[in-house]
Amino acid sequence: MSKITTLVNFISKRTISLTTPREGKRNFRKFMIANKRGSRIHKQKQMTPEAELEIDKRGVRDVGYNLNGQFITVPEMIPELIVPDLKDCDLKPYVSYKADNVIQSKFTAQQLFDAVYSKKIVTDFKEGKLDADGLPLQPSEEEQLQPDEAVARAKKTGSDIF
Amino acid sequence: MRIFGFLSKKVGDLTVKYSNLPESYIKRSYEQVYWKNPTGYPQYPKAQVTRKKFRFTTNRPWTAQFRQQNETGVLRKKVFLEPVGEWSFFKGDRVEVMVGKDKGKQGIVTQVIQERNWVFVEGLNTHLRVVGKDKDFPGVTVQSEAPLLVTTDVKLVDPENLKPTEIEWRYTEEGEKVRVSLASSRIIPVPKSAEETIDYKSKDLYIANPDKDTSADVVTKITFEAKLRTFEMDIMESMGIKEDRVPAKSYWY
Repeated sequence: MSKITTLVNFISKRTISLTTPREGKRNFRKFMIANKRGSRIHKQKQMTPEAELEIDKRGVRDVGYNLNGQFITVPEMIPELIVPDLKDCDLKPYVSYKADNVIQSKFTAQQLFDAVYSKKIVTDFKEGKLDADGLPLQPSEEEQLQPDEAVARAKKTGSDIF
Repeated sequence: MRIFGFLSKKVGDLTVKYSNLPESYIKRSYEQVYWKNPTGYPQYPKAQVTRKKFRFTTNRPWTAQFRQQNETGVLRKKVFLEPVGEWSFFKGDRVEVMVGKDKGKQGIVTQVIQERNWVFVEGLNTHLRVVGKDKDFPGVTVQSEAPLLVTTDVKLVDPENLKPTEIEWRYTEEGEKVRVSLASSRIIPVPKSAEETIDYKSKDLYIANPDKDTSADVVTKITFEAKLRTFEMDIMESMGIKEDRVPAKSYWY
């Protein structure tokens, strides 16, 4: 009797489905399926906000942002090439082989500080133009800045603080 | 793995120096990448299917003839190359041929192909070949040199007694690296023709193109002023672009 119960496990139990079970749905999450590739269902799903994969922009950056389904163009995000006037430029595309190889040391933040701020600090200290707290009596433009003003200045167009 | 990086360099240092081209350009000019995994997808590692076996000849790697000789699908027999650690043969060196028809004769090196350990000596180890043979024209017979292997066929000549010697690279008291003949301990200087490149025979003989070459004094002139501006801000100031808008306040948590 026990043999029949064990034999039951060997009878193939296959089901029949009258519709295609997965309807062409395949796992596209792992493979790069760019915009025109993939099955019809996948492409339709990509057009809705429930898209499975990120829309492949092929390296082109957006010129604005999406808000409530609408795309808003930001003119500042459109790149503009700024080319200087090369009228008085002595530099040519190549360098003569006779020129020596110029090796420059790195320009550090310390050196920038020394160039911009240090002179005034040293002269103020030597001439005694510092008050009791050590702050300058005749502050320069940079020394007069408040922290939020300085941050605002640093974050203006062309800043490298991100 | 520094050794791997050193061994995977197929193009010799002398070839790169001779070309006056950046090494990355030379590599780019002769590489044949068949498939490269796309970038920006973390599931695909940085892998590429590229051709690794090239046939190096007298045609330089950046030339079209090299590309023709190494076309896709062209398979050549492997050339077994003895890796020479320190290369000691330069153009203009006096060298003695140790094998072949011209055994015992001395000559001056005219060409060095590091990728095959080859050296061409002027007028030695030659053979005759007929160029331009036609139905009517009998052709011109030309004497051309065959390459000699640096490791076995050729030896540098000691300038003192003009005999072939083994050499070693040693440092002088000044710290300069020189070749020293092991027999007589005399220094064999590197010849002046070794600094020849495609563009010049020597740097002082180079004639600059006034329209395209920046002269030495302009290049070495220091025009940098330390300012508290980024590169873009400096350009905006010099070009008169005014932008006073400040971005909205943002917070980091």
